[in-house]
Amino acid sequence: MPAIEAVDLKKTFLLPHEYRTTVKEYFLHPLHRVEVERNQVLGGVTFTIENGEFFSVIGANGSGKSTLLKILAGIYRADSGELSVDGVMSPFIELGVGFNPELTGRDNIRINSTLLGLSKRELEASFDEIVAFSELERYIDQKLKNFSSGMQVRLAYAIAIQVQFQILLLDEVLAVGDQAFQEKCMETFERLRGEGKTIVFVSHDLQAVQQFSDRVLHLKDGLVHSLGDPAEVVGRYIAELHAGQNVGLTR
Amino acid sequence: MTTPGHNLPAAPRRALRHQLRVLHVIAGAEFKLKYSGSALGYVWSIVKPLMLFTMLYLVFGRIFHLSSISHYYPVSLLMGIVLMTFFNDGTVLGMNSFVVRGSLLRKLAFPRLIIPTAATLTAAITFGINLLVVAIFVAANHIGPRPSWLLLVPLLLELYVFTFAVSLILATLFVRLRDIGQVWELALQVFFYATPIIYPIGYLPAWGRKIVFLNPFAQVLQDIRAVVLYPDLKPNKITVADAFGTPAARLIPIVIVIVLLVAALALFRREEPWLAERV
Repeated sequence: MPAIEAVDLKKTFLLPHEYRTTVKEYFLHPLHRVEVERNQVLGGVTFTIENGEFFSVIGANGSGKSTLLKILAGIYRADSGELSVDGVMSPFIELGVGFNPELTGRDNIRINSTLLGLSKRELEASFDEIVAFSELERYIDQKLKNFSSGMQVRLAYAIAIQVQFQILLLDEVLAVGDQAFQEKCMETFERLRGEGKTIVFVSHDLQAVQQFSDRVLHLKDGLVHSLGDPAEVVGRYIAELHAGQNVGLTR
Repeated sequence: MTTPGHNLPAAPRRALRHQLRVLHVIAGAEFKLKYSGSALGYVWSIVKPLMLFTMLYLVFGRIFHLSSISHYYPVSLLMGIVLMTFFNDGTVLGMNSFVVRGSLLRKLAFPRLIIPTAATLTAAITFGINLLVVAIFVAANHIGPRPSWLLLVPLLLELYVFTFAVSLILATLFVRLRDIGQVWELALQVFFYATPIIYPIGYLPAWGRKIVFLNPFAQVLQDIRAVVLYPDLKPNKITVADAFGTPAARLIPIVIVIVLLVAALALFRREEPWLAERV
């Protein structure tokens, strides 16, 4: 059985300015209650992700990548289509969910790890490891806002890798952090692949995408533009990107 | 369609226990945050109702001589203020909870009901501290505990459920309609004066008492006063049963609380799938 099976997923957002949020607007435009302008983000996306596959999603900004990931995670609900998931899925799509700058590192570890699904016992068992991994021993009782952004990312990452899951969803994790952190991430990707985990990876880092992916999905305007071999899909994506730029220049 | 995140194979009991832990951690963090960076910390949660009490006592108790009706007027007033502070804080924190936690809603799949619950529980922690102050006032009036005080447990529970239900309705509507914030601010002021906090309910005409007691908050307050302060002094304790002249009337506020809770949960369930994208 595949890890994730998505059939004809569709999602439409109402554009914010069309959205009536005050009573006054209802009174001013009583006849315009039906939202006219809609923004279709996903126009029917179908794909299957096999168990243990490293599956990347690429595409321009606004192509629907993050929306797709949020639907997979159960954060958004698709308007129509079918989605079935086999295996425990990580509930987060970003690192450091629920981090609060006004609380100490220790408090943030407790909150974040709990939100990600760690039990009290699991946290107690791995607390020292998290602190050691993030190299924050001296700062752990300081407020998070005093941490550098690199320290925050390391901490978030150290917690995230403690979570038990079969399917991992990641949105742009490589966009933050320094070279050393990115290398750490890459090592983790290798390890998770070796353990047979399924990973859905959304990124603009095409090099990493090519390096790790088994298959790549290229989303364009909310539709599957191409899906398959990483080198092929990424290559065509880059070619189209450049073609588009040239057209823009000649006009 | 099937929703991922809901078909986790984890045993239901473990899942429930984990959700309670999430609730505990979030409520604890919110309580910490509320007073983080302030020197006096949660002492402020005691200072605020005590300050309000002092003002209202001087104006209404002294200048308008309301304290002459009973020497329990001060402690009675304080009870009203502390209960109202809880309802006020709980509903305001609850109303804002989804919007404040918007980024969490957009990045994590978890039971959304935890968020308003944590917010109202945060207010309940403060409420618990304030109740200690009330207890000191009660002791200063030479009133000792009685077995009937056990009735306080269901009464406080009723108050919490009422506050939670109102918060859940407000929080869900607030995501769609930000005017709710302004409306509720005004409503709370009306609520304060429409409840026998400053004045004794006996000052109202019979029909006025009936209207006031349609508010579960008024019933809880009057019952708590009756249980703690006036166990045998008939003329000073007017409860919902007295106002309607029948013991069956005790059911009215309870039914209202249950209906509110069911309505709140139904409204929430309807909106839950779209909270993350609308917030």
